[in-house]
Amino acid sequence: MSTIAETALRGKARRRMRIDGWRWGGRIFLVFMMLYTALPMIWMLITSIKSGFAAMQFPPQWWPDQPTLASYEKLLDPQNSVGQDFLRFFWNSLFVSTATTILSVIVAVPAAYAFSRFTFPGRNFLFFAVLLRNMFPAVIFLVPLFILMRAIGLVNTHASLVLTYLTFGLPLAIWLLKGFYDNIPVQLEQAARIDGATRFQAFVLIVMPLSTPGIIATAIYSFIGAWNEYIYAYTFLSKNEQLTLPVGIQRFFSENTTDFPGLMAASFMMSVPVVVLFLVLQRYFVRALTEGAVKH
Amino acid sequence: MTILTGKAEARRKLQPEGSGVLRKIWEHRADYAYVLPAIAVMLIVIAYPIYYTIELSFFNTPPGLQLRDKIFIGLDNYTAILTSPVFWTVTSNTLIWTFGSTLISFVLGFACALALHRDFVGRGILRAILIIPWVISAVAASYIWKWIYHSDFGIIGAVLVGLGLADRPPNFIDSVSTVLPSLIVVNIWREFPFAMIMMMAGLQTVPDQLLRAAKVDGANAWQRFWHVTFPHLRNVSTVTILLLAVANFNSFIIPWIMTGGGPSNASHIWITHIYELAFGRQRWGVASAYSVLLFLILMSFGYFYVRALSGNERKDGSA
Repeated sequence: MSTIAETALRGKARRRMRIDGWRWGGRIFLVFMMLYTALPMIWMLITSIKSGFAAMQFPPQWWPDQPTLASYEKLLDPQNSVGQDFLRFFWNSLFVSTATTILSVIVAVPAAYAFSRFTFPGRNFLFFAVLLRNMFPAVIFLVPLFILMRAIGLVNTHASLVLTYLTFGLPLAIWLLKGFYDNIPVQLEQAARIDGATRFQAFVLIVMPLSTPGIIATAIYSFIGAWNEYIYAYTFLSKNEQLTLPVGIQRFFSENTTDFPGLMAASFMMSVPVVVLFLVLQRYFVRALTEGAVKH
Repeated sequence: MTILTGKAEARRKLQPEGSGVLRKIWEHRADYAYVLPAIAVMLIVIAYPIYYTIELSFFNTPPGLQLRDKIFIGLDNYTAILTSPVFWTVTSNTLIWTFGSTLISFVLGFACALALHRDFVGRGILRAILIIPWVISAVAASYIWKWIYHSDFGIIGAVLVGLGLADRPPNFIDSVSTVLPSLIVVNIWREFPFAMIMMMAGLQTVPDQLLRAAKVDGANAWQRFWHVTFPHLRNVSTVTILLLAVANFNSFIIPWIMTGGGPSNASHIWITHIYELAFGRQRWGVASAYSVLLFLILMSFGYFYVRALSGNERKDGSA
């Protein structure tokens, strides 16, 4: 991380260096990427405020004659069946994601610390095993995990999801947190040890508070991952009242494929929590993600 | 595995006077307490499934999950896979999907990172908007794009017709020839922000003195990029490309929700094909054999990934 002064200097130097053609090329390119990124999301929002009839027209209405929030009202109304389902899916997602996040962090914090600080035999092997896990897709774990869950009676429970979400949440959390611990000077702990703290006390009282940004970032990452997870939920849950949002939305609209405004409204509502969370805490998140990969 | 047996032995042997490795393990016994919960979880949800998948790949399994009735058939599942024509369709789809998505996402993300590296008004907001597709759920993204590609009411079709480029809206995802590129466009939409984030972080580590020196020596902007910036970003580029490649290779949601692998397997990639074999057609043995092959392929990706990462650490001097 560079200081503000350095960044300012670098900016100035760069401004002098850049020639106009590159600057304009860059701007035009950014406008293009901006359109590519934003137009689908804008179209989602515009469709979500159309009536079902208005959405089914060709050529499409660029802006609806009669914008309506009916789709959102329907989704958020606990009185009708659509709203009941949607709100239930929403709470299910919130519950599963929160539980996954808490468990991942609790298990990953000490493990990442140990990988960062200690040199016990097998450390490298275990850490690479953790790293490699990020390479494997959920699909190849599905059959055995499904059988395992059935054997221990967890099929059709949220516990099965929380447990399986740890398969991707935990390795990632350990990896992200280790990057943070690597950057906290060991001398701080040594000082605490000299003052009479045990190693565990030094970890809890000195290192943990310093790694709060890393823990926050890791928590967001786990939360977003669990919130967006689809395959395990799609495979393990069958009862309507248990579904999480990604699967719930699918079940919902596979019966009524013409309700695109409703589908777009639901997609929007599903995206809001994670996007808000991400935008508010972006700084931590990006830092954690890139820490390990760009060290020089 | 070796660590676990070693640890059990160390526990049995409460005296620290054993041979070298055991003594070291014993001396570090307190360290393991920190990683034990993580290892326990990983054993249950990762090591066991891998073992079980390998076992199942050698069996013929009846439909339904009555796996007690499975019959040992040796390598027959593997031969069946490699001789099936679907295998080659799915493999070529997977290669096109993985390479296409990875290369274009990386180039676009890198270009965005370069363009955003300069400070200008609104940079923060622009960056945030460019990242959003990566954060939202792939399920939501799939539905948004399905609607955009809709063959009757889709907006791209409407624009093409409006401009006189087509008589009627094309069937982007219902036609064998266009389905894969159309899905790749969606995938890139979701993936390029990741490359952008990684490369932005990488760019911050390029030393300014080098760029200034190159400038003094008369290098133009392109030469400075090609000879100074780019070589400096080699490690982060390697890591980013590998992570993208693995993520794309392992994609499921976008093809599954948008087309379910259709029409006539034209958008089936390995992962969706495995899922369909297992949960659609209940051919658990064949699906497991596929998984084992996949596992081997990903291990080789993993080998390069670990090498790229440890290359970083060596430079850092901390490993």
